[in-house]
Amino acid sequence: MRPAQNGLAGNTSIVPDKKWPVAGVGALQMLPDAGLAISTRDLTKVYRNPWTLQVVRGLEGLDLDVRRGEVLGYLGPNGAGKTTTLKLLTGLHKPTRGTAWLLGVPIHETASRRRIGFLPEQPYFYDYLNGIEYLEFAGCLSGLSGGDAHRQARHWLGRAGLGERPRLVLRKYSKGMLQRLGLAAALLHDPELLILDEPMSGLDPFGRRDVRELIQEQKERGVTVLFSSHILPDVEILCDRVAILLQGRLTRVATVGELVQGSRQRIEIRCTGAGTLEVPANLDGVVECRQRSHETVLTLSAEQRLGEVLEWLLRSRIQIRTVTPNRVTLEELFMATAEGAGSRSEAPSPARAGEPAERRTA
Amino acid sequence: MIVAAIARNTFREATRDRVVTGVVLFGIAAMLLTQLLSPLALGEGHRLTIDLGLTSISVLGMLVVLLAGSSLISKEIEKRTIYNLLSRPIGRPVYLTGKWAGMAGALWVVAATLGAALWALLALRGHAGHGPSLAQAVYLAGLELTVLTSLVVMFSALSTPVLSALYTLGAYCLGQWSGDLRGFAHQFPPGIAGAIEVVANLVPNLPIFNMRSLAAAGDTTSGFHLGVASGYAAVYCACVLCLAAAAFESRDFK
Repeated sequence: MRPAQNGLAGNTSIVPDKKWPVAGVGALQMLPDAGLAISTRDLTKVYRNPWTLQVVRGLEGLDLDVRRGEVLGYLGPNGAGKTTTLKLLTGLHKPTRGTAWLLGVPIHETASRRRIGFLPEQPYFYDYLNGIEYLEFAGCLSGLSGGDAHRQARHWLGRAGLGERPRLVLRKYSKGMLQRLGLAAALLHDPELLILDEPMSGLDPFGRRDVRELIQEQKERGVTVLFSSHILPDVEILCDRVAILLQGRLTRVATVGELVQGSRQRIEIRCTGAGTLEVPANLDGVVECRQRSHETVLTLSAEQRLGEVLEWLLRSRIQIRTVTPNRVTLEELFMATAEGAGSRSEAPSPARAGEPAERRTA
Repeated sequence: MIVAAIARNTFREATRDRVVTGVVLFGIAAMLLTQLLSPLALGEGHRLTIDLGLTSISVLGMLVVLLAGSSLISKEIEKRTIYNLLSRPIGRPVYLTGKWAGMAGALWVVAATLGAALWALLALRGHAGHGPSLAQAVYLAGLELTVLTSLVVMFSALSTPVLSALYTLGAYCLGQWSGDLRGFAHQFPPGIAGAIEVVANLVPNLPIFNMRSLAAAGDTTSGFHLGVASGYAAVYCACVLCLAAAAFESRDFK
């Protein structure tokens, strides 16, 4: 079978096009479309506790396509299976079932990791090395020659804002510095695909801005980026599409625009002189009224009743200061999706899906 | 290339470890202290120095294996530094081989440093002629430590630091007495004797790397012995690393 073109989650239609059997992985597994940077088919991870034999489903039948040059945000609450997915893609975990391809190479082959850069969540480094030594080491591991590794290490240490003290040992680095070093290590061999697990976590606003710019720059270079994050405004700014994972299952893949489209738009009206204002009965349930120190904020949930509300306010001689349409944020949509899935789910699993019982920090 | 990079990094880690530096300094101090015992050796002081010096190389080397080697892989898994390595185009067998080579390299440096210190001490006392036998003995001690490193890498890849240190220490003790173990097996009924012989054959045959008595007498061993010991160490290390790689291949990193 061939991965779907449209990148939608779930059982997407699969067009029999180029079919090339992959040696050694069974006749049913075919190479993915050349335009896909990441393709997963029925990717599943089940954790089994060897002592209690308790089974925890980390990831369930993930079918996901990421096109080349695309930035995909991978969202989900803690324990949803985000980190599990990224670990499966980068060879740190072995799938229980299914397979995936990175830039057309199946993940069970070491070569699949040749052109990728990976930043793990809260990266740890060898504290006896200094910044330049670590980056040189990372470059050599990614196949750069000694000279290239040294050159790239110097370049990326500077790009990460750590170039002033290249001989500072890593045990003296702050959390933000380590995060930036990890990003530099993921980028120094010019990867075609970046997989970043919570790249903004632990960073101050300046650090977040730097990382955002770095991702944006990579996107402009045509690098595909898959990153998980809890910081939804960043996802909203950077991503072409977002994938939402809940309890080990992919529930939705869409552009931010598609997600927001169709959702109800709210309108906020700020006014003064409405201290004793009472909402008339015909607008009850449509207008929410909040008093603040110097103003009253009315939130209108039905856009089509705006004229009616404005008419009522003018009639009541209320001074209207601003009328602002508020788009539903990705955060609100995400929360709504998560709560919807939570209410639909049946009995909770013994541990959160997405992580083994011992560790639940996806 | 990648094996060399991992080996170099592991070597750097081991040599920057204060434990290793401390062990080397302690070894040199111990050799100097043996000079206090020389008057008791009735003119055989240099024998005593060589015997105790070579023993300290073996024992202190083993101490480094236990202290630094037992957490070689497990520490990487626990601290998650392994994510930065295995998410790159590196096969797990390559990673284990690199770690083994780097640690073994550090142990060779420890053995060579202590061996050079021992030779310098002997030279100061007018016994510089023991150089060739001493060099052979240090070479065999290095091979012994290389074999033990392969075992500690395997145990460290599959277990906790404490357990891997205990397993390696057990293998070291059984390995030292592997010849006695075979002789001991004959006193048991065939079933038990067979099991003891299997254990004796599985643990490393460490007496093959011991020429302390010869070196103390100033004698050298044959090239054949050195060749057999080298071949045995190479084959044993290869087998252990293959076993470790097979078990490590399917491991998930939490």
